[in-house]
Amino acid sequence: MSDGAPAHPHTTPAPAPTHGAGGGRPRRWRRVRTGLKGWLYLLPALAVYGGFAIYPALSTFSFSFLDWDGVQPPTWAGVENYTRVVTDPLLAGAIGNGLVLIVFFSFVPIAVGLLMTGLLTARGGRGTTFYRTVYFLPQVLPLVAVGTTWRWLYSGDGAVNEFLGAVGLDGLTRSWLADYHFALIALGLIGTWCMSGLCMVLFMSGAQKIDPALHEAAALDGAGRMRRFRHVTLPGLRKEISIAGVITTIAALASFDLVYVTTNGGPAGQTNVPALLVYRLAFNEGDIGAASALAVVLTLLVVALVSVIRLLAREK
Amino acid sequence: MLTLTACAALSGGSAQDNTPDDVSTDISDTEATLTLAFADDPPTHELVEGFTAMYPNVNIELQQTQFTDYVKTISLSMTSDDAPDIAQYNPGAMRSLIPGGHILNLDPYAEAYAWDETFPEATLEPLQSNEEATEFATGSLYAAPGALSVLGVFHNTEVMEEAGVPEPPATLEDFEAALELAHQADIAPMSVGGLEVGGFQIWNALLNGLGDRDDYKDWVYGAEGATIETEAAAEATETFHRWVEAGYVPESANATSDNDARAEFVDGDSMFLVTGNWAAFELEAEMGDDVGFLLMPGTAVDQAPVASGGSVAYAVSSHTEHPDVAAAFLNYLSSVEAAEIQLATGFMPVDTQAPTESYGLLNEVNFGFSTVADNEGIVPFPDHAAPGMIDQLTPGIQGLISGSATPEEFLASLQAEWESHHE
Repeated sequence: MSDGAPAHPHTTPAPAPTHGAGGGRPRRWRRVRTGLKGWLYLLPALAVYGGFAIYPALSTFSFSFLDWDGVQPPTWAGVENYTRVVTDPLLAGAIGNGLVLIVFFSFVPIAVGLLMTGLLTARGGRGTTFYRTVYFLPQVLPLVAVGTTWRWLYSGDGAVNEFLGAVGLDGLTRSWLADYHFALIALGLIGTWCMSGLCMVLFMSGAQKIDPALHEAAALDGAGRMRRFRHVTLPGLRKEISIAGVITTIAALASFDLVYVTTNGGPAGQTNVPALLVYRLAFNEGDIGAASALAVVLTLLVVALVSVIRLLAREK
Repeated sequence: MLTLTACAALSGGSAQDNTPDDVSTDISDTEATLTLAFADDPPTHELVEGFTAMYPNVNIELQQTQFTDYVKTISLSMTSDDAPDIAQYNPGAMRSLIPGGHILNLDPYAEAYAWDETFPEATLEPLQSNEEATEFATGSLYAAPGALSVLGVFHNTEVMEEAGVPEPPATLEDFEAALELAHQADIAPMSVGGLEVGGFQIWNALLNGLGDRDDYKDWVYGAEGATIETEAAAEATETFHRWVEAGYVPESANATSDNDARAEFVDGDSMFLVTGNWAAFELEAEMGDDVGFLLMPGTAVDQAPVASGGSVAYAVSSHTEHPDVAAAFLNYLSSVEAAEIQLATGFMPVDTQAPTESYGLLNEVNFGFSTVADNEGIVPFPDHAAPGMIDQLTPGIQGLISGSATPEEFLASLQAEWESHHE
C-alpha cells in the first residue's frame, strides 16, 4: 500500500454492470472467481477431513515405525513393530478372529437381507414399513446397549437358554459368551442381528428402483417367483449388495465396542479382535508403536478386502 | 478409520529437573489457586473440601475425568504447558511421566513432614520408584495416598445358615469346606466376575493367604530376578483350579461382569464374593445385617494376615508454581481430619490409629484392614507388576475357568509378561 493516499479498492475498478455481460475479461475473472468460490465452499469439509482423518492417519503411519510410550522421546524402531504384528500369535490370532467375524457380520446378514427382501417384495406393500422399522431397529441402538443386553440374554439363566430349555434342548444350554468354543460364534451372531436389518433396508430401496415392467415381462414369459428373484431382483441389486458388503466387512474387522462390552476378548483371548488389542497396546501398555502398526495392518486389510468386493461387484 | 489421535506431537527434550530445592511446610501466608486432575470421586472432592476449609487462603480447582479416559488424558495433560498442579496417581501413566521428569520428587517433603511416621510404610511403597520407574518400593517418593482400600471376602450370613455353615471360616480348610457345603445344598458357593477383575482377585486373595509376602512384593515391585513361579503361587493357582473343577467357580463366570457378580451376591444367590472395601457401602445398604466381611484366611488361624490393598493417591507436577501448597495437601491426607472423611466416603483411613465410629459391615471391613495394616501385611495388587499384566491376569484366569489352560501355563504367562517388561 502506498504512503498517504488511502486506497479505495471497492470504489475503483468494478466495471459498470451494463456492459459487463459480453466482455472477455470479466467473464474469465468470474470463472476464476467461481472456481475459487467452489474451493471456499469445500474448505470447511476439507479442513475437517484433513485435520481429523488424513492427518491422524498419516501420524499413525509414522508412529508405527517408532518405539514410543506417548510421553518420553521416541526412538526409531524400523519395521520391528510390523514384525511383531505378523509373528506374535496373539496379534495374528486377533486378525484371524476378525476374518471369522466377517462371515457373521457380512455374509450371513447379506443372505438374510436378501431373503427378507424377497419375501417382503413378493407379498406386496402391506406391512412393509412395519417390518422395515423392526429389522432396522438394531442399527439405531448404541452398540454398548446392544452388547450389554445380549450379555444378559446369553448368560447362564438368560433368555437364550430359557428358550432352549423350553423346546427341550436342555443339553445345549450353556453360558454362551463364557464358553471357550462358542464365544466367538455367539459374538458373531450379535453382529448378524445388528447388520441384517441394515442390509435389508439397503436391498429394499434397491428393489423398489427396479422397473416393474421387467418383473411383468418375466412373469408373462412364465417365470415363477424364485426365478424372477434370481434373474430380475438379484442382478438389479448388484450395487446395493456391494455397498452392504463394504459396510459390514468394515464393521466386522473394525469391531470394538461390541466386543469390549460383551467379552472384552475373553474367555482366555478367544474373542480378541484387532481393534481391542490396538486399544490395549496403546492405552494399557503404552506401546504406541505396536498399536499403530497393528492399526495400519488392519487398515490395509480392510482396504484390500473392500477392493476385492468392489471388483467382484463391478458391472461386466 | 483406526487411528490414534490421542497422541500429541512428538515432543522431544530430555527429562527435566524434578527435585525441589528449598521446601517449606508453612503455607499459611500463601495465597494460591491450584488445579487438581482426578478420576475417583469420592474421595477426592471431599478431601479437597476438607483441606481448603482448613486453609481458606488456598483454592483448588477440580478437573474430573472418567476413569477409563483418565489413563489416556493424564499423560498428555501432565506434559502440557498448562499441566495441573496435582494429579491422581495412575501407575500406567506414571511409568512414562516419572522418567520424563514431569512428576515432583517428594523426598524433601517426606523428610520435612516426617511422612515415614504418619503414613503406613506399605502404602508408600508402591508410590516409590527409581528414576526409570521400572522398580518400585525403592528410590524416591512420587505420590502420597489419600484413601486406602483392601481386598477381602464378603459373606452372606443367611445363605451360610441355609447351607449349614456355622460361622465365618477361620482357615482356608474351613473356607473350602464351606464352599463344598454350599455346593451340596445347590447354592452357588461364590459369585465371580471373571469377565473383569473378579476372577483374578480370588487368585490374588488365595496367594495373600498362602504365599510369602516378600517374594510376592519383590515380583510386583519389579525387583531384579523376581519370579511368580514359586511353590506358593503354584499352590494358590492349583487351589483355584481345584475349585473350578469341583464346580465352586461356575464357567459362566467368564462372561459375568463385576457388577453382575455383585448383583447376584446382593440377591442372595451366592455365599461369598471376593472383592474390596469399595463394595461395602452398596452391600450394606442392600443387605443390612445379612452381610459380613473377612480377610481370605490362610492355612493357620494364628497366621499374620496379609491382604492386597491399594490407594487413591496424588502426585505433584514438577511444573507447579506452588509445590509447598501441593505438598501441604498431601500431608493433610494423613491427618485425623482426613481420616474421618476417608471413612465416611467408604475408604480405609490413612491414619490407621484414627478413632473410628463406624459400625456394622463398615466396622468389620475397617477392623480387618487395621489388623493387616498393623502387621504391615498390606501388599500391592498383582496387576501393578507390569503395564500389560492385567491383560494376562484376566484372560489367564479365564483359561483356568474354561479348562483351556493349566496352572503352570497360567503362571508362566504371567512371568513371561513380567520379563518382557523388565528385560
